Amino acid sequence: MTDTATDTTAEAPQTPRVTEEELARKARRTELTSRWFWRILSYIVVLAVWEFALLDIFGFLRGTPLDPKLLPGPSEVVATFFEIWGEGTMPAAFQATLTRIAIGFGLSFLIGAMIGILMQSKWFEGFFKDAVLISLSAPGLIWVLITAIIFGNRPLGPTIAIILTTFALVTVNVSEGIKALPKELIDMAKSFQVGTFKRNRQIVIPHLAPYLFTGLRFGFSIAWKVTVLTEVFSSSEGIGFEMRISAVLFDMSEFLTWILAFFFFALFLEKVVLEAIERRYFRWRQAVTAS
Amino acid sequence: MAEIRIKNLHKEFGTGQDKVVALENVNLEITGHSFVSIVGPSGCGKSTLLNILTGIETPTNGTVDITSDGHVAAPGYVFQAARLLPWRTVTDNLLFVQEDRSDSTKQRCQRYLEMVQLGDKGDKFPGELSGGMQQRVGIARAFSIEPDVLFMDEPFSHLDAITARALRRELHHMWDETKKMVVFVTHDVGEAVELSNRILVFAKGGSLEDDIQIDLPFPRDPADDEVAVAKAHVLRKFEELDLLAS
Ligand SMILES: Nc1ncnc2c1ncn2[C@@H]1O[C@H](COP(=O)(O)OP(=O)(O)OP(=O)(O)O)[C@@H](O)[C@H]1O
Ligand SMILES: [Mg+2]
Repeated sequence: MTDTATDTTAEAPQTPRVTEEELARKARRTELTSRWFWRILSYIVVLAVWEFALLDIFGFLRGTPLDPKLLPGPSEVVATFFEIWGEGTMPAAFQATLTRIAIGFGLSFLIGAMIGILMQSKWFEGFFKDAVLISLSAPGLIWVLITAIIFGNRPLGPTIAIILTTFALVTVNVSEGIKALPKELIDMAKSFQVGTFKRNRQIVIPHLAPYLFTGLRFGFSIAWKVTVLTEVFSSSEGIGFEMRISAVLFDMSEFLTWILAFFFFALFLEKVVLEAIERRYFRWRQAVTAS
Repeated sequence: MAEIRIKNLHKEFGTGQDKVVALENVNLEITGHSFVSIVGPSGCGKSTLLNILTGIETPTNGTVDITSDGHVAAPGYVFQAARLLPWRTVTDNLLFVQEDRSDSTKQRCQRYLEMVQLGDKGDKFPGELSGGMQQRVGIARAFSIEPDVLFMDEPFSHLDAITARALRRELHHMWDETKKMVVFVTHDVGEAVELSNRILVFAKGGSLEDDIQIDLPFPRDPADDEVAVAKAHVLRKFEELDLLAS
């Protein structure tokens, strides 16, 4: 103990940079730990409340016990999860839903980006402005109901619902990105006689990437919810459809299982996939915010 | 040898009420191994002139020609602000303006990074550097293409005195060795006198008011009598033109 103490004090003046870096790393580690602590705590609290509900605390307060059929416990839901998983229903349902999202949101992204580019012209801006505003502010449920009524369970319904609810998010971000194009960097490249192709690849695209990514991220989170909703109303496969079936059959354990699966998948996409992309491609932005 | 020929150059921005005249009927020739400083009050069109010479802006009227041994000269430009790509590392920022990515090109870039004391910062992003360091990367970038003409827009004004002095010396050596042309914008008359063999004085409204030759031997020590006299001479011109007040 004493050895290390004297060691560090003796070394500190000679290698201040190492010590500084170490301190910074330590601070980062503490911050990370505390953030994870609170995150995990939230899950524990939710599970505990769920469990308590079953322990008839609420039933005791109300004077009647809570029927476990209405709210099955965590362990039962997990058991159901593996049961359904074993039947092979779950991957199939996810595949159906994700295919719908991929087609719908893929189209929506292209259409949204195209409108964003067109809106740089005054005329097209006038033409699309209100449509974008309506799409941004109207609740997704409206489009889900309208398309469900018009298209029934034909696959065109969800696709159109996804496009109508998400294209504007992409449009707004693309349009904003184009308006903020860094003219001073493009001028710099011109003065050094850098060609158009290289300018686009190294200035325009990296500049637009964060805007596209924001559109992708928010658009996807809405597309995901809208798709499941359309399946609840009108579909014969997918996660939403499975939810409807278990709700109709009054199988709460299965219903909760589907909700949990949905929730964890969304969490996985958001926290693992999207954040990994962000870390990988936008390292320079962390550098900017850190300084 | 590089040559710059400017004939009846006129530049205005905006129209009607918002019209601003940035350059007014400028005629100028710069040839050979010159170090030309451009001085004048803020807003007199110094940056605009460099932007026209490097092809970023086009003249409203008049012509500019920059040639080197008969062909179009390759300019290097150090901007008033660093203008680095924030999403590329320091090394990649230098490579961005090169014609190829060969080993010799990479070595040359590294050499110029070392010249501005940033040899160990190649893997950093600009956002991780201080403002002065970013400005030095901008300087290394312009040097690294070994241009026929080097344009510099107040390159040292954001740097600390010691770094600025070292880089001034470095710039003088490079100019002396390569026999290239340097066009240098500055607010600092002392700096202009220390480095250049010709000083152009611009006035508000963008007119070229004076063209001063300085034929003193290098290196010039600011404490030296002749250098001090030259500086006083330029400052007197400023006074005559009533430029100091603005
Ligand atoms: N892109 C532009 N659009 C409109 N006006 C401009 C533009 N660029 C420059 N100007 C105007 O032209 C004039 C000259 O500007 P310039 O930047 O060349 O001045 P400067 O001599 O470099 O000044 P400073 O020493 O402050 O850098 C100014 O009045 C400025 O407002
Ligand atoms: Mg300027």
